[in-house]
Amino acid sequence: MITSGMDIQYLIKQIEDKINHQYIEQIVGKPHIDESKLVILANLVGRHPSLSEIEKEKLVITAMLVQIALDTHEQVPTWFKPDISNKEQERNHLRVLAGDYYSGLYYLMLSEIDAFDLIRTLASAIKEINEYKMKLYYLDYNFNGEYIDIVKKIEALLIYYVADYVNDSSLNELVGEWLIINRLYNEKQNIEDHKESTLLNKWLHNNSNYTSFISHANSIIQTKTDTLNELLDVLPQQYGSLKNYLNVKLNKENQSKASIVEEG
Amino acid sequence: MKLPKTYGYLKKDLDFIEAALHQTIQAEHPVLRSASTELLDAGGKRIRPVFVLLAARLGDFDLEKVKKVAVSLELIHMATLVHDDVIDEAELRRGKPTTMKLYGNRVAMYTGDYILARALEEITTLKDSDVHHILAKTIVEVCVGEIEQFKDKFNWDQNLRSYLRRIKRKTALLIATSCQLGAVAAGLTKAEAKKLYKYGYYIGMSYQIIDDILDFTSSAKELGKPAGNDLLQGNITLPVLYAIQNQSFRTHLEKLFKHPESVSGIEMNKIINTLQDTGSIEMSYSLSNQYLQKALRTLDELPNRRAKRTLQDIARYIGKRRS
Repeated sequence: MITSGMDIQYLIKQIEDKINHQYIEQIVGKPHIDESKLVILANLVGRHPSLSEIEKEKLVITAMLVQIALDTHEQVPTWFKPDISNKEQERNHLRVLAGDYYSGLYYLMLSEIDAFDLIRTLASAIKEINEYKMKLYYLDYNFNGEYIDIVKKIEALLIYYVADYVNDSSLNELVGEWLIINRLYNEKQNIEDHKESTLLNKWLHNNSNYTSFISHANSIIQTKTDTLNELLDVLPQQYGSLKNYLNVKLNKENQSKASIVEEG
Repeated sequence: MKLPKTYGYLKKDLDFIEAALHQTIQAEHPVLRSASTELLDAGGKRIRPVFVLLAARLGDFDLEKVKKVAVSLELIHMATLVHDDVIDEAELRRGKPTTMKLYGNRVAMYTGDYILARALEEITTLKDSDVHHILAKTIVEVCVGEIEQFKDKFNWDQNLRSYLRRIKRKTALLIATSCQLGAVAAGLTKAEAKKLYKYGYYIGMSYQIIDDILDFTSSAKELGKPAGNDLLQGNITLPVLYAIQNQSFRTHLEKLFKHPESVSGIEMNKIINTLQDTGSIEMSYSLSNQYLQKALRTLDELPNRRAKRTLQDIARYIGKRRS
């Protein structure tokens, strides 16, 4: 798929090559590459007039390395349970080191092209994201506006910082809306698959009220989707490929919702 | 004589760096701020800032510039410690509860990530290619070393070479980099900076070997953690590597550590006594000493200043360290 001159499949391959580590993959598995964020970053950076092709590529790849590092650390359980298998424990422990390793790779890659300001930009993003993660961790859960706002910041801050670096904040509102919708879709899916929800762990543990969360999440998704559609309608033509990508994603989610309703 | 006495004249600079460290980790979130500050206040020898300062004093010393390097290196070290405690599920560090124990894994992860990010924000105020090339490579190598150590847990078939490679990445690299970056920040020549890197590398190797020895020869009170803790964690260190050349001891250990969680304190004491009887402690000290001699020789051609004499004193002090 070509987006703003940047080939997403090529970028995925570059990221995979960069993070390739036989032992980590054997124990922890291949890290998830968040395609949505990759597409947004490619659109944001792809048309930037003052960056060379190499700089664009490195910017997108290193921002994704940071995202992968953060996501990997988010998989470390809040507390280690005494009754899990040695294999699972080994996986949890190695996630700590894997995240640190991916984080180190971003610095190494940018130091090779003397991109000091970008190293600093991404470090500032990591710093602020962790401040918000702490806020979320200690927030009394009631799924109100503040909770959703913090989650949105955790999801979108890395891209906001890159947007600031390339001096283009025109996508920020749209990015925030899409990323919170996407996160809620993912959390719903995780709950439906009976997996743990990293975002809602504390609350679900206290209430065990999955149905209530899902109906609440659906209503937020609906409101946010309406806003997103309005923003997509007025999106400048230069972001046509991003518009297509998000429309396809939204339609896919709607279809999946419709099929669940039909199946009862 | 205690180690800090050898560099007592650096106190003013070290206090300046200590204040900068505190200032750098003033997070907005109160728990993040507390966790970071507690980690800093838990002490530590600040050996990396000391090496940065001493190396820099061999060139054109600029405290503002040196401070940024020293603060970043100490923060990077701190970030690795807080994450290491999650991996080791360690409840104590330097006799005090770890971040993981006080606040849980999640906060420990956020604290480590936050501190590393602050280190990079700080160091990028220096627009010096050499500094970033060296530091970035070091960070990745340290991570690779940690992963290797993790992979080698309870691996009884590892050899001396793999142990040395591991401690190089675990400890020596960051000390070597501290010396090298201190030199770079003070405008020493590449050759001089390389010599200081080598000095730091040899010192770091010696220091880690002695640390590994002390795990078996010091008391729990002195260590701030149980004696033999490295072995309980599955880390096969030099005294063990030498000792398991005795086949019956090796067989005993392999059998016992199939279930490390059930090794009692009494059993660990017996292991420590047997290990000491094999002569492995003396052999380990001997290797550590060889590294120290190399460190001292490396300093020969460097400018004859007070800082050089202190680097020599530190090497001699490390050689005598017994607790």
